[in-house]
Amino acid sequence: MFAATLSRWTMSYFAAALIFLVLGETMMVLGFGYPVLALEAPETLALVHVVVLGWLSLLMTGALLQFVPVLVGQPLSLPSVALPALLFLIGGIATLTLGFVGLSGAIDLPVTLLPLGAAFSIVGFSVLGFSFSVTLWHARPLPLPARFVAVGLATLFGTMLLGGVYAGVLSGLIEAAGAIDLTVDGLSLHASLGLCGWLSFTTMGVSYRLLTMFMLSPDKERTSSRLVFVLGVLCLGLLAAAVPVILVGTVGRSPLFLLAVGSGAAVVAIYVGDILRIYRERRRKAIELNSRASIGAFVSLVAAAMLFVALLSAGRLDEAIGAVIYLATFGWLTGMGLAQLYKIVPFMTWLECYGPALGRMPTPRVQDLVSETSALRWFRLFYLTVAVGTLALLIGSALLFRFASLGQLIAVNALILEFVRTRRLINVPAELRLPDGLVRPGLFLPSIPHGGSHEPRSL
Amino acid sequence: MSQDPYELDVRPHLRGGSDPFQAIMNAVDSLAPGQALKLIATFRPVPLFSVMAGRGFTHQDRPLDNGDWEVLFSPEGEVEEIRLSAGETDLDTWPDPSRQLDLTELDPPEPMVRILATAEKMAEGEVLFALLAREPLFLYPELAKRGHKWAGNFDTAGETYRILIRIGGRRSHVGA
Repeated sequence: MFAATLSRWTMSYFAAALIFLVLGETMMVLGFGYPVLALEAPETLALVHVVVLGWLSLLMTGALLQFVPVLVGQPLSLPSVALPALLFLIGGIATLTLGFVGLSGAIDLPVTLLPLGAAFSIVGFSVLGFSFSVTLWHARPLPLPARFVAVGLATLFGTMLLGGVYAGVLSGLIEAAGAIDLTVDGLSLHASLGLCGWLSFTTMGVSYRLLTMFMLSPDKERTSSRLVFVLGVLCLGLLAAAVPVILVGTVGRSPLFLLAVGSGAAVVAIYVGDILRIYRERRRKAIELNSRASIGAFVSLVAAAMLFVALLSAGRLDEAIGAVIYLATFGWLTGMGLAQLYKIVPFMTWLECYGPALGRMPTPRVQDLVSETSALRWFRLFYLTVAVGTLALLIGSALLFRFASLGQLIAVNALILEFVRTRRLINVPAELRLPDGLVRPGLFLPSIPHGGSHEPRSL
Repeated sequence: MSQDPYELDVRPHLRGGSDPFQAIMNAVDSLAPGQALKLIATFRPVPLFSVMAGRGFTHQDRPLDNGDWEVLFSPEGEVEEIRLSAGETDLDTWPDPSRQLDLTELDPPEPMVRILATAEKMAEGEVLFALLAREPLFLYPELAKRGHKWAGNFDTAGETYRILIRIGGRRSHVGA
């Protein structure tokens, strides 16, 4: 028998992820790293890892803990790894960030922090990846969204291995020539596998399922979605093929790269077509804020892809790649993450708090846990600052970028406050808030039930 | 999804004295997935029923006014795996549903709320039948906690989830 239970630690993953996001935004406001410093500066690497590992990857793994079982209709294998993995990841990402700060010379820190942080992060992601992979393995044949997740996990693994090599080389632990070649030549590979593979491809797969679920659209597997999958695998495979090419030292990387760009652009185009169809064919007439706010993310994805292709054909990719990465990381991935949190947090809170009382006494609706009008303002400010920030990077104005980041920091904090209000049931009408016998959920830690209404099934 | 049946009239074959079996099998082979075959013959083709059953078709036959017969062979859809609640679940012993709910047009999680509210009003041993647009994965734990049993699967088109819920004894309460 399978039943989807609430993932116990997902909310803790989300909380940790949001703290890293605030940290990253603060670094950008203070001018730490790019664009004040170079794209390759250690300060920029510290910032990038705070955002991409601390925020986006913790968010993704926390969400997968809840959604992998829902995607495949099987309980999560080894659910007890969730908490230790979270502790490894928080420690590992913080240490890695300090390692980069130490590398910049800003503070005198031991150089071993870098490989140590990398090792902790790799352990954390690996045990989670193992738990997800075993779950998927038991659920074969996989539905299409789950196949996206499987490929995303494979690229996470590849990205981690490359990252581990870089950490070893940068700290002087590894001196093999091949490893040094990979570090010098393959940095963009590490970044593109992480951003395009692990984060974007997994997001695409999960979005097929979540959007159809939230908007009551038909969710039959379509040929176009399968094509997105096949072309995406081709694109990521071509990127990964660059590793042996670099190691062997042969030329011929540009055809590989161009083919990857071509298939990647096709993936984005067909995927966005699918998404448009999901919105158009929805049976739920009113679009809730989470689906509305996701539109900004899809627009950002298309804009980032078009900007990339335009810069590439104009031969100006090197000078403006930072703007593309920024737009993809903040507009597409962060925008999507915040928008979906706006649905996932109230739903999980509602089920955790009111599940035991459903049907037995009047309970609030999920929508009673949120206040869309106030959150809508902050989503608007968020996307506005993404647009201004991208523009600032394109015209090379660090001051404008920091100003945009300040606006973004405010928007992000305001949205976090909305999540807190949801967890605290503040938006719920007082007479419905806590009927007799119900317990208010913890802010981000699982409550320990006493003979309880909810079972700690997945610890 | 539903396609018009392919119509095959074998009366000319039969009147001409030839065996229409091969023509029928060719027609069956050319059917689209899910498509039915409408056969018109001068007699009730009983031997064909078992042949077609072996190929996964059920039949409905009716006599025509002029003494000829029309038989509709419909493909049996692939039956989706049935999800059952834990423990002993012998559906044959369940009574017919006393309540039916069509929840296919409701936004999630409203179907779950309606099912649980309806279940509260029903007596032990009664059965509730509900149609949903999605498999209610988050409903199952609540049903289990309340001691209800269930069985459900998707229809052959994969579009509607059908669930039978048998009300259990009231053994679990809020805060208990």
